[in-house]
Amino acid sequence: MHIPDFMFPVAQGLVYWVIALIFIVLALRWARHSMGEEKVPLVAVLAAGIFAIQALNIPIPWGTSGHMVGAALAAIVLGSPFAGVFVLTLVLLVQGVIFGDGGIIAMGANIINMGVIGGFVGYYSYTAITSMTGNSYAAAFVAGWASLFISAILCAVELAIAGTFPLVAGLTFMGTYHAVIGLIEGGITAFALYLIASARPDILEHPRGVST
Amino acid sequence: MIDDLYYIEKHAYRTSIVHRLDARIKLLVTLAAILAIIAMPYSTKVYDLGAVLFALVVVLWAASRLSPVVYLRRLALIMPFGIFLIGFQVFVKNPYYEVFHPIATFPFGIEVYAESVQFASILLVKFIVSISFIILLSSTTRMQDLLEASGRLGLPREFTLPLGMMIRYIFVFADMFGKIRSTMETRCFDPLDRTLPYRYRLRQLGYTVGMIFIRSYEQGERTYTSMLCRGYGANTSLQIRGKALGAGEVSFFAGALALIVLSTVLIYLRP
Repeated sequence: MHIPDFMFPVAQGLVYWVIALIFIVLALRWARHSMGEEKVPLVAVLAAGIFAIQALNIPIPWGTSGHMVGAALAAIVLGSPFAGVFVLTLVLLVQGVIFGDGGIIAMGANIINMGVIGGFVGYYSYTAITSMTGNSYAAAFVAGWASLFISAILCAVELAIAGTFPLVAGLTFMGTYHAVIGLIEGGITAFALYLIASARPDILEHPRGVST
Repeated sequence: MIDDLYYIEKHAYRTSIVHRLDARIKLLVTLAAILAIIAMPYSTKVYDLGAVLFALVVVLWAASRLSPVVYLRRLALIMPFGIFLIGFQVFVKNPYYEVFHPIATFPFGIEVYAESVQFASILLVKFIVSISFIILLSSTTRMQDLLEASGRLGLPREFTLPLGMMIRYIFVFADMFGKIRSTMETRCFDPLDRTLPYRYRLRQLGYTVGMIFIRSYEQGERTYTSMLCRGYGANTSLQIRGKALGAGEVSFFAGALALIVLSTVLIYLRP
C-alpha cells in the first residue's frame, strides 16, 4: 500500500502532505503531553520496533507473502490513535527516503492512509467494540482488519482522484485483497495483544477488557 | 527490506566525490529532481526530461564509484509494487487521453489500448527516475548525515530527535530481527510452510510481533531512563553543528539545480 510518487500529480501530493502535517503536529503534541513528561524517545524506539515488525513475512492464503502495518497495534497498546500516526510517520519517512518504498511527494498520502486511518480506525473500532462486547481480543481483531481495509479503500479513492487507477477496479482489487489480508493483520494484532497483555499488562494504556 | 539496511549503509560509508558531497546538497538535488519529474504533466515530454535526469543519475553514480550491480539490485527490490501499478494501466482507460485505440483484445472483453501503453511507459519513466535519485541518495549518504542535513535545512527539532533515535535503533532491531529469524529456522518453523495449520502459523507470528513490540518498548524505556540520567528534558534537542559549504559544493549545487530547473522549464514550454 506504499504509493509511489508517480501515481499522484504534484498538487494532489502536496494537499495530502498538508493534511498529514496537521496530524503529525497533533501526534507530536500527544507524544509530548499525553505520554507523560517527554517520552518521545520511547515512542521513537518503538517505531524502530514497528519497522522490524513490518519486515516479518506474513503468509497470505493464496501462497504469497505480505507484511503487517502495525498502526492499529501501536494505537491500541499506547491508548491513542496518535500513536499510530507518530510511529507510522517515522517508519514511512525512513522507508521512503532510505529504501525508496513509497514516494516522497506521495508520502503525505501514505501517512494518511496507514498512519492516520490505521491509527484512528484501529483505535476507535477497538474501544467501541470492547465497550460493546467486553471482548478485547475480538475487538483487536476487527480493529486490525478495519484499519487495513479502510486504508485500502481510501488509497483506491485517492488513486482514482489522481486519475491513475480506475475507481471500480481499485475498489475491487485493493478492497478484496486487503479485506483478506486484513483478516491476517487482525489475527496477528489480536495474538500480539494477548501476548502483551499476558507478559507486560502494565504497558497497555487501557487494561485488557476495559473500555475508555 | 530490513535485510538491506546494512547493505545500503555499507555502501553509504564508502568514499568518493559524491559520498563526500554535503548531504544537504544531495538531499536538495534529489528533492528537486523528483519534484521536476513528478511535476511534468503526464505527456511524452516526460521521456525527454526523464532522459536528462537519468543521465545526471548515471554521471553521479559513476562518480560515486559504486558498482552498477548495487543500483540494479536495489532497483529490483523496489520495482514489484510499482510495476504492478504500471502494468495494470495498459488494460484500462484513464482521464489523461480522450480517444483510446485497442491494439490487442483478450477474452472477457479485456483490451490493451495504445494510449494506455503510452501512459504506462510515462509512469515507468517517472518511477525509474524518482527511484534512481532515492537509490543514489541513500547509497552515497549515511543516515546520520541525512538526519543532520535535514536539521541544518530547518527540520524542527521535534522531528530530528525522534528520527535520530529511530535511525539509531533501527540497526539494533535489524539484528534482533535476524536473531528471531534464525531462532525460527532453528526450530524448523517457516511461516510460509503450508503443511502447518494456518491458525498455528498466525498465532506464532502474532506472538513474535507481540514479543518484538515488548522488546522495543522495553528498549525505549531503558533508553529513556538513561537519557534522563544524562540530563534529558523537555527542551533537549539533537545537537547539530553548523557546517559551511565549500565553493565546489556550492558550484555543483548551482549547476545541478540549474540543469534540473532549466531542462524542466524548456521541455515543458516546448510545443
